[in-house]
Amino acid sequence: MKKFNHILFFVLLLGSVTLLSSCKSNTDSEDSNFDRPKMLKNYSENVILPAYNMLQDSVDQLNSSATTFSNTPNTQNLEVLQQSLKGARLAWQNASLFEFGPAEMQLLRTSLNTYPTDTTKINDNINSGNYSLGSLDNQDAVGFPAVGFLVYGDNKTDSEIVSQFTNETNAQNRMDYLLDNIAFIKENVDAVVTKWKADGDNYASTFLSEENSGTDIGSSMGMLINAMVLHYERFLRDGKIGIPSGVRSAGIPRPSTTEALYGGYSVELAIENMQAFKRLYLGIDLNSNDGLGLQENLDAVGTATLADEIETNIDQSLDKLNALNDPLSQQVDSNNDPVVEAFQAMQKVVTLVKADMTSALGITITYQDNDGD
Amino acid sequence: MEKYLTQQTSIAPLAVFRALFGFIMLVSVIRFVANGWVYDLYIKPDYFFTFYGFDWVAPLGEFGMYALFFVMGLAALGIMLGSFYRLAAVLFFLSFTYVELIDKTNYLNHYYFVSIISFLLTLVPAHRSFSIDTIRKPSLKRETVPAWMVNIFKLQLGIVYFYAGAAKLNPDWLFNAMPLKIWLPANSHLPVIGELLNYEISAYIFSWAGTVYDLTIAFFLLYRPTRIWAYISVIVFHMLTYFLFQIGMFPFIMILSTLIFFSPEFHKNIIQKVQKLGTFFKLNQKEAGAQSSKKITLSKKTHPILAGILILHFILQLLVPLRFTLYPGNLFWTEQGYRFSWRVMLMEKAGHATFHVHNPKTGKNWQVSNWKHLSPYQEKMMATQPDMILQFAHHLEKKYKQKGMDDVEIRAESFVTLNGRRSTLLVDPDVDLTEIERGFTHKDWITPYNENQTNWFTNN
Repeated sequence: MKKFNHILFFVLLLGSVTLLSSCKSNTDSEDSNFDRPKMLKNYSENVILPAYNMLQDSVDQLNSSATTFSNTPNTQNLEVLQQSLKGARLAWQNASLFEFGPAEMQLLRTSLNTYPTDTTKINDNINSGNYSLGSLDNQDAVGFPAVGFLVYGDNKTDSEIVSQFTNETNAQNRMDYLLDNIAFIKENVDAVVTKWKADGDNYASTFLSEENSGTDIGSSMGMLINAMVLHYERFLRDGKIGIPSGVRSAGIPRPSTTEALYGGYSVELAIENMQAFKRLYLGIDLNSNDGLGLQENLDAVGTATLADEIETNIDQSLDKLNALNDPLSQQVDSNNDPVVEAFQAMQKVVTLVKADMTSALGITITYQDNDGD
Repeated sequence: MEKYLTQQTSIAPLAVFRALFGFIMLVSVIRFVANGWVYDLYIKPDYFFTFYGFDWVAPLGEFGMYALFFVMGLAALGIMLGSFYRLAAVLFFLSFTYVELIDKTNYLNHYYFVSIISFLLTLVPAHRSFSIDTIRKPSLKRETVPAWMVNIFKLQLGIVYFYAGAAKLNPDWLFNAMPLKIWLPANSHLPVIGELLNYEISAYIFSWAGTVYDLTIAFFLLYRPTRIWAYISVIVFHMLTYFLFQIGMFPFIMILSTLIFFSPEFHKNIIQKVQKLGTFFKLNQKEAGAQSSKKITLSKKTHPILAGILILHFILQLLVPLRFTLYPGNLFWTEQGYRFSWRVMLMEKAGHATFHVHNPKTGKNWQVSNWKHLSPYQEKMMATQPDMILQFAHHLEKKYKQKGMDDVEIRAESFVTLNGRRSTLLVDPDVDLTEIERGFTHKDWITPYNENQTNWFTNN
């Protein structure tokens, strides 16, 4: 019995130590292997907010280009508008990875970037002049892809497009639809940015709060990683590459499902998104300053080889994406193999990030009670 | 032997156990509904991973599911108050077990535990003291029950703890402190013990202490001189797990359940204190005095049936967790015989499954977007469990058949990481799963576990 009592004593001792340590104030000790709050701070201040600011600026730019175009519809102003749209779409690639919190509530990605866009629906809306852009039914007739269709047209010259906005039937309706869409984009982006900022709803402080500094599902890190992985899997790998190439669509290549079908720069957008993903993983801001990120976290828990392997695979995916030519719809049509190769390279990253990384960091990607089996 | 089975003993521990179990179940049911889980788990998904042999168990639709949970909550209340007790216990057991059988994605050992306890409660007259039933019908009131009616719960609890401890006797747990080495630092933000969790030695201490605790706690609870200390360690242990892991109601269920090990006097005390709060209980107690000293005796017919059921139950309880020995391969990897064995918080396993479809008629190949068919939780649980991978492949086969694709081939490429090891293929990616039948036989299409798989944490 003595032996048992010793064991019991040990168990109790452990408990008492636990309880006693509660009396000690929780100081930031240097024993900590990894400063997770500091990583979250880096993400919030140097990665997420700058990306949203950039998006907001570029959407403002898009808005003013559209106003100029509507006041003076000519080919020169159309080209400026096209450039602004591209700028905004590139900026979006940096902000699209954060579909949690305010962006999730706002359904930002759905509102801004549902494609392929339904051109029949768009034309119907223009002809009737009666539409609600925020409605569920119009999800594939709004946002960047819809604006892309309006300002690039389907195989049309610039002057033909200007003519659509000036001379043809329902020209004014078309102009209204363009402006309404850009206003809709701006409204959604502004709402999300305001919610993040300190002078708005200050979601940033919620993101950095102590109660959200854990690794469970509601924690900031849990949400960030879930959003990041989900975006990568469904919208970067599948949406931008997998579906057009046919790997994710019953084996039949679908060139008309590319992101910038009418602008013809889908590959460029995919590369930008992949680079944003890499920066997020490394904790690098837009000016290439390297802060604490998931990579450093993996290093800290003793899995540096995994950290390196993820980076290597991201780089290989970037190489494969760089080997593709715009417009992606033509690349898929004429030579689909490199697109499938890019998909396969991107697939490896999913496994490493979704299985190995979340596992190594003890991130919960379930919302349910779990006893670990 | 007679002492533990037929000798009359106070009903108080059983009655208190019944009331506490009903209470914590009522809380659990309310919490489950309030968290929106009825919708998330049983209404929203398009597909459910049924248990083999229980494919007829299906969700009942939105109204049906909420109605079922309402019945479950009422039944829990009935158990707690001892009101229409037998009916309540049967209803609770059936409704709870039905829900657990709908989708194995949601399988938890503690749900299995609840099913078993509620099953055992249907067999005993736990309402014959400290209950509404004895107020309604004072003649029901009894002071004593045969000892087995209390002891089956102690035995069940003992089995749960002991097997949970025995399951921890594996090299990863004891010598690599895995998975706690991963899980503890993930909690380093906790205010009280956070700092300690970053030390590797903590993972070893927790692993070993947990093993010793599980293996021995039932004995310390049985032995009167150590009981109070054992119970304190029950509280400490389960509260630790509560703060460290997303483990839900389980810690509270165990903290309340293990009270049954305490003496009749202890429980009589509890009853008296509660009864002081409710005066009508007191009044009633006086009226029932005469009959309550009667013994509960079973008729000659029910006695052997009950004995048979209980003997069979406990034989199964002892054997089912050992069925894994009938399968070749590494248990944690194949999970053949893993469930229903009290393997709790044993491994960190995660995966990512891709399903490749080949249509021989058209020669086309493509991959499935799992998320279009499954919830994120289902997708996660499936990726690491071969039987679920097979079920999903069959589900896809059916879907494609409905679309007019008669004979597609479906292969799974699932990369799985176990306790920090580099992810590797769980099942043979060349096997057409539409040709494989479900069942309890060994799944030879599982890729053999590689003992030498490199570990990200140790690089060897």
